[in-house]
Parts: sequence; structure tokens; C-alpha cells
Amino acid sequence: MKIDRFWPSTANLWLCAFRSFFLLTAGHAVVAMAWWLGALAGLLPLPELPGGAIVWHAHEMLFGFAGASIAGFLLTAIIEFTGTPAVDRKTVQLLLGLWAGGRLCYLLAGWLGVLPAAVCDLAFLALLTARIAGPLWRQPSRRHLAFFHALTALTAIHAGFYLALWRGGDAMAWLLLGVGLMMILIVIALSRISMRLVNDVLERQGGIAAPYLARPPRRNLAMFAIGLFSAAEFFLPGNAVAGWLALAAAAALLNLLNDWHVGRALWQRWVLIPYLVYWAMALGYALIGLGMLAGSNWNSAGHHLLLAGAMALSILIVMSVAGRLHSGHGLDHRRWLPSAAALLLGAALLRAAASLPAFAGAYLPLLHSAATLWLVAWSLYLACSWRGLTGPRPDGGKGCDEAA
Amino acid sequence: MTRNLRQQASDALTASGHYLWSGWGSLASLGIFLAIWELTAQQLGPLILPTPIEALTTLRGLFESGAAWPEIAITARRALAGFGLSVVIGSLLGLAAGVSMTASMMARPIITVLVGMPPIAWLILALLWFGAGDGTPIFTVFIACFPIIFVGAMQGTRTLDGQLKEVARMFGLSTWMKLTDVYLPHVVSYLFPAWISALGMSWKIVVMAELLSTEDGIGAALAVSRSHLDTAASMAWIVALVGTLLAIEYLLLEPLKRRVESWREFASSSN
Repeated sequence: MKIDRFWPSTANLWLCAFRSFFLLTAGHAVVAMAWWLGALAGLLPLPELPGGAIVWHAHEMLFGFAGASIAGFLLTAIIEFTGTPAVDRKTVQLLLGLWAGGRLCYLLAGWLGVLPAAVCDLAFLALLTARIAGPLWRQPSRRHLAFFHALTALTAIHAGFYLALWRGGDAMAWLLLGVGLMMILIVIALSRISMRLVNDVLERQGGIAAPYLARPPRRNLAMFAIGLFSAAEFFLPGNAVAGWLALAAAAALLNLLNDWHVGRALWQRWVLIPYLVYWAMALGYALIGLGMLAGSNWNSAGHHLLLAGAMALSILIVMSVAGRLHSGHGLDHRRWLPSAAALLLGAALLRAAASLPAFAGAYLPLLHSAATLWLVAWSLYLACSWRGLTGPRPDGGKGCDEAA
Repeated sequence: MTRNLRQQASDALTASGHYLWSGWGSLASLGIFLAIWELTAQQLGPLILPTPIEALTTLRGLFESGAAWPEIAITARRALAGFGLSVVIGSLLGLAAGVSMTASMMARPIITVLVGMPPIAWLILALLWFGAGDGTPIFTVFIACFPIIFVGAMQGTRTLDGQLKEVARMFGLSTWMKLTDVYLPHVVSYLFPAWISALGMSWKIVVMAELLSTEDGIGAALAVSRSHLDTAASMAWIVALVGTLLAIEYLLLEPLKRRVESWREFASSSN
């Protein structure tokens, strides 16, 4: 399929896999959220959806929005980490087709049943896993195998979700399990990216003796605690055991931040944004845990901090760094990036506040302002990254090569 | 010079900040522990094991009613008195024994006997000697901590570097300088960890002694709650005890130990 024969300007889009996927991520963030808001306000129709509208919203944010960014990131990062040739264009187009098919089929699942959506979504994850498995296993040290494990687990959870949906069971429990896995994936991915970013900043500042190290024991403790919490949330929903584990996860994430206390360099955007990712994650788990132990339901507030806060911020920083470097541009020093990060953080905090009983009176205004900040943030990303993602490489490099 | 000092101060501040922040890691492990406790309590029922929340609520009740502080103060007084005695006597005797090879040889089997004797056996003897009162727990704490401190002090003196002594003599250092710059840092690096282990131990011993011998203090409160089959109150007292121990260990002793041990590491790496 030669799309660029019909639409020549798309030629640059196929230079590297991340270009199309990053555009789709931000585009989907805007469209799915606008639609959700419109549907909530009764302005836009929402077809009959299996599992209900909230399950659709959560599923789209997790597997639609974050799913596309994961595909873009992994198809670019794994080949960089392992030094293997880029993914061929046909596979990328097939993945894009499956991703888009999944989004559409889910919307039409009221008529088609959940099977077409399940086939598209699961084939998408399975193909992605298969494509990155080879390079990861062939690498002698197998240092990045954690990505393979996480992606396999994500596929299994997604399969469980569709099975529950098909049987009319509790599909949301599977999505929450997916949230935990996504947090683990973020911790893994950020540890790889941060080593490079933070040390670059430290190096530029000069005079720092001790380099930044993402220490595996701290990271492993955080991932272990998150995993335990997710398992408890899944098997013992609403139990105080999960509450203590959520607090343990929050503390383990704050402990992880000790690696990041590197002095003045912390105020640089490349360090501050990932740092805030962990803060949002820790706050999210702390809210969930405290709510469970105090007998109040702060789950929605906590989960929104995890997703609209930690996940969205990490997607923003990963797409801004990988998207620029691998399209031949240097790092983006324009002001829009910190602004977009601040908007996303604001959106997450407002959305979390909306779910807290203390702000119950202002639920709708908080919800709408959170959504507005979210829409502005991702529109900013689209506007400021459009040329980089769809344009030619300015440095004369090829494909996914990193900018010199 | 001022700049150097300022740099040192800022480094120390950063290190303390990092250390305090790493407390989150300990809290994470504690959270997992509390989850296991919670799960076990849910399986066993409140009569056998109350949940962490129940224990903490009872503890809060004890503090709010004013029942907790006097007992904690009494226990702390006994533990610290026994510990203080063993620090003074154990350190002095240990240092003295370390100076002479013969004295060290002589002391070793006695120390082995003292270390090998279980604290509960001392407690029985103390009950016979001192009866029910402050004397019994204080003596038991003293005699349990004494051998640890004695051995630490003795080893500190015995392992003094002969070459360093020689260098000090060659450079004609005054006795005071020899003491403060050569002997003391080395001995303290052995003595201090021994004090810390002994302080941790004193808290455990004092409660055991109180449980069996006195009518006040945390140990006695534990005995009362046990006789009332009040598991929640027992757990509350245990939480108070372990909480105090954790706070002393991580907020006071561990930072001090790090400072002392960093000196030893520095000394051994520069050798």
C-alpha cells in the first residue's frame, strides 16, 4: 500500500515508526477526550458500548492513547538500544491499521459485538510484542528484556479485559490491573531515558562529581510494590490490604526520587518533568491507599493522578525527546513544552480534586476545566511537533537515526 | 577556609537529606509488612490478632487518655539507666583490658560466659536480689549490655595501629594530641557501634524484665493487657515499643553510626 502515491506529503511520516504513532497519540488524546466531554454534556452521541461509557473512556485512554505512544516509543527505542535495523514500513502500516481498527470496532461494539475490537487490539499488541521480541532476545546481554515481559503481560491483561467484557464480567478490574502494569512500564522506560537526559544536563552544567544513576534496587522495590498493590486490588477489591500496599507503593516511589535529587539540575525541564511523573504517581497511590484505609473511596481521584498525571506527563516527555531526536532535530528548548507539562499536571490535579468528596459541589466546573487544560496541552503538542513529525529530516540523516 | 567549611556543611546537609529521604524506602517495606499483618489478622479474627488499624486506634486512645506517656517514661528511664551504667563501666573496663594482653586473655572466657548467659536467667537472679522495683530491670539491662560494650572497647584498644603510634612518637606529638588524633578516633569507631547495639538491646530487655517483675512500665502494661485477653491493647503497646525502637534506630543511631563508620572506611581506604 503506497499511501504517499495518493498523498505525497505523507512520505516523511514513514521515515520512522514513531512519527505516525506519536501523532495518533496526541490526536487521540484530543479527539477521545473531546468526544467524552461532549457525550457527558449530552452534546455528542455515544453509541451503546459494552461495559458502559466509563469502561470505554478508561479503555481508550489506556489502550488507545497510551497504547499508540508505547508502540511508537518501543519501535524506535528498542532498535536504538539493540542496534538493529528499523521496522519495515509495511509492519508499521499494519500496526496502524490494527490500532485504528480497534478504536473503531470498540465504538461499534454495540452492533458488532466485542470480538472484532478484541481481534484488532490483541493482534496489535501481539504483533508489536513479536516485532520487538527478536531484537531483545538476540542482544547478548538481554538488558532490556523487561520491556518484553511488560508488553507480554499487557497483552495478557488486555485479553483478560476482552474476555470479561464478552462474558459480561467486571472488565474495569482488568483495566485497573492494566494501570498498574502501565506504571511499571513507565518506571522501566523512565529509568532508561533518565540516565541519559539527567546526565546530559549535569554534564552541561559541569563541575558535578557524582553522575546520576537510576539505581536498580530502588526501582525494583517500586515496581514490586506497585505489582503487589495491583494484585491485591484485583483479587481483594476494597480490602485494607490493598490500602497498605498502595501506601507502600507511594513510599517506594518517593524513595525512588532520591536518585533524582541532583541539585540545581533538577530545575531543568528534562529532569523536572520526569521527576513530576514520579510525584504524581506517588500522590496517586497515596490517595488510593489513604482512601481505602480511611473507608472513603478516593480511587477515582488516585487513578486520575496516575493516568492523567503520571502517564500523560511521561508520554509527553518521551514523545518530546524521542520524537525530536529521532527526526533529526535537537532537543526542543521552546517554551511550549514546560507549559504543556504544567497544563497536564494542572489537569490531573483538577480532575483528581473533582472526585474528592471535599470538592463534590464543584464537580462539573472542575471536570470541565481539567478537560480543557488536557485538550490545550495536547493541541499544543500537536501544533508544535507537527512539522518535526511530518517534515523531512533537517540533518540529512536517515530513517530513525538520532540527531547528531 | 570558610569556603571549604561551607562546602563541607553543604555536603553534610545533602547527605543527611538523602539519608532522611531514603526513609521512604523503609516506609515502603513497612507498608508491605502492614499489608501482610492485615491479611493475617483478617484470616485469624480480632481476638487472636487485631488489624493494624485497630492496634493504631487503640494506641491513639492510650495516648489521648494520657495512659501511655507515664509508662513510656518509666520504661525509658530504666532502659537508659541500665544502658548508661553499662556504657560507663563496660567502656572503662574494656579499655583497661585492651591495654594489657594478659588482661584481654583473662577477660575473654569471662565475657564468653556473660554473653552466653541468657538474659532471662539474669532476670531470675535479679528478682531474687533486688525484688520487684527499678533495680531488677536496670540490673538486667546493665548485665545484658555490658559484655557487648566491653568487647567493643577491648577490641578498639587492641587493634590500635602500632605503626601509627610510632609515627606519632617520631613526630613528637604531645600526649593530648596522641589521644585526640590517634587513639580516640580509632577506639570510638569500635566503641560506638557497640554502644548502638547495646542501646537497641536495652529496649528489648527492659520490657521483658518489666513484664515479669514490675507493676509499671510498658512491660507491665503488656502483662495487664494479656491477662485481660485484650489483644488490641497488647498490639498497641508492641507498636509503641517497636515504633520507639525504629525511631531511635533510624533517626538517631544509624546517622551517627554512618558518620563514625565513614571515618573508618576513609581510614582503611587511605591506608
